[in-house]
Amino acid sequence: MTPFKLTVMTPDGIAYEGEAVSIIATTDEGEVQILARHADYLAALGTGRVKLELPDGTVRTAASSGGFLTVQNGEVTLSAVTFEYKEDIDLERALRAEERAKKELSSAKDARDERLARARLNRAVSRIRIAREK
Amino acid sequence: MAGASMNDIKSRIKSVQGTMQITKAMELVATSKLRQAKLRAERTLPYMRQLLSLMNSITSASELRDSVWCQSSDAGKTLFIVIAGDRGLAGGYNSNITKLLRSIAPEGSSVFLPVGKKARDFIARHGYECPLGAIDYVADAGVGDCMTLATGICEAYTRGDITRVVLLYTDFVSMMVQTPKVSELLPLGKNADEKDAPSPIFEGDPSLMMDKILPLYLGGALHSAIASAYASECASRRTAMNSANKNAEEMIGELTLKFNRARQAVITQEITEIVSGAEAL
Repeated sequence: MTPFKLTVMTPDGIAYEGEAVSIIATTDEGEVQILARHADYLAALGTGRVKLELPDGTVRTAASSGGFLTVQNGEVTLSAVTFEYKEDIDLERALRAEERAKKELSSAKDARDERLARARLNRAVSRIRIAREK
Repeated sequence: MAGASMNDIKSRIKSVQGTMQITKAMELVATSKLRQAKLRAERTLPYMRQLLSLMNSITSASELRDSVWCQSSDAGKTLFIVIAGDRGLAGGYNSNITKLLRSIAPEGSSVFLPVGKKARDFIARHGYECPLGAIDYVADAGVGDCMTLATGICEAYTRGDITRVVLLYTDFVSMMVQTPKVSELLPLGKNADEKDAPSPIFEGDPSLMMDKILPLYLGGALHSAIASAYASECASRRTAMNSANKNAEEMIGELTLKFNRARQAVITQEITEIVSGAEAL
């Protein structure tokens, strides 16, 4: 397959820079796959799985949340708020975060607290799911 | 008399040496922290650049220049995000920021969001309002904290509680130069690129895109400013400690000279006494 230039970045730095043949990401509207020579594109990302396929055939899975996926002049950029490769996910920490978020959700005082807690829970659940995938 | 002044000088030398040990250790610590802080500040830059170009493509593609994010109004309050350090002994680092804040923030129509212990203390001492919370320690402020605060800021802005957001931080220009900086985050459009770019395919409604990207932009800007400010803090502490070391060295040199003179005077006096005693015999 034809490779394209891909950059994955977060506010903490660049997570991947190089060639890829496919990227699957979870947008607010569902999963999308971008291949080479895609038209200019912009989508807001939700919380979920990102799958990169590199030219040598390796597939890397990651958990990401928030941010944007853009295609501009054939170059693809994923700018996420958080992005962790499957092997880098701290499962223990995610499990603790899930517990904490559930507690916060049940004791949320207003809509804002509830929304924040729900987002935190979503992120934790997505990390756990991806870390446990085969 | 002479003996007493010799002891005085000796104890002064000791105390200056003690101070110098501390400033030397602080310089070393600041140097190693600075290296990490500088890397952290540099790593935030690609994300900021990407978000800025995204915002430009959205504002030029859809007719969002008239949206709430771009409208300036004099009616509401201005939010000042003030980033200072956690600790003192960093030269003029903290006072430069608070001085700048006092010169630009109008009393009465301003609210504040302090980042860092020194900024929080300053705001608390003056009894200013900070309705949106604060970040207590600069050193361990993460992306998550910034994003949560940014969401809060965006909500307050859409409600009309605040109509302007200004960021005050110290820009890390180089190892030797750090300048306090004021940057207007909201309303947008003052430094946005106005040229028309071909519009991309949007997944979803373009007018909703702006509401999604703004918290990310604000959070990213906050995160990047915090990283830059922390690097500046380390750099200015290093510079301050370096000159403290030089001063201490100079003082020790002068005091040693004084001490030797005093010792010489004591010896001369003793010889004179012995000689005159021998002559009297």
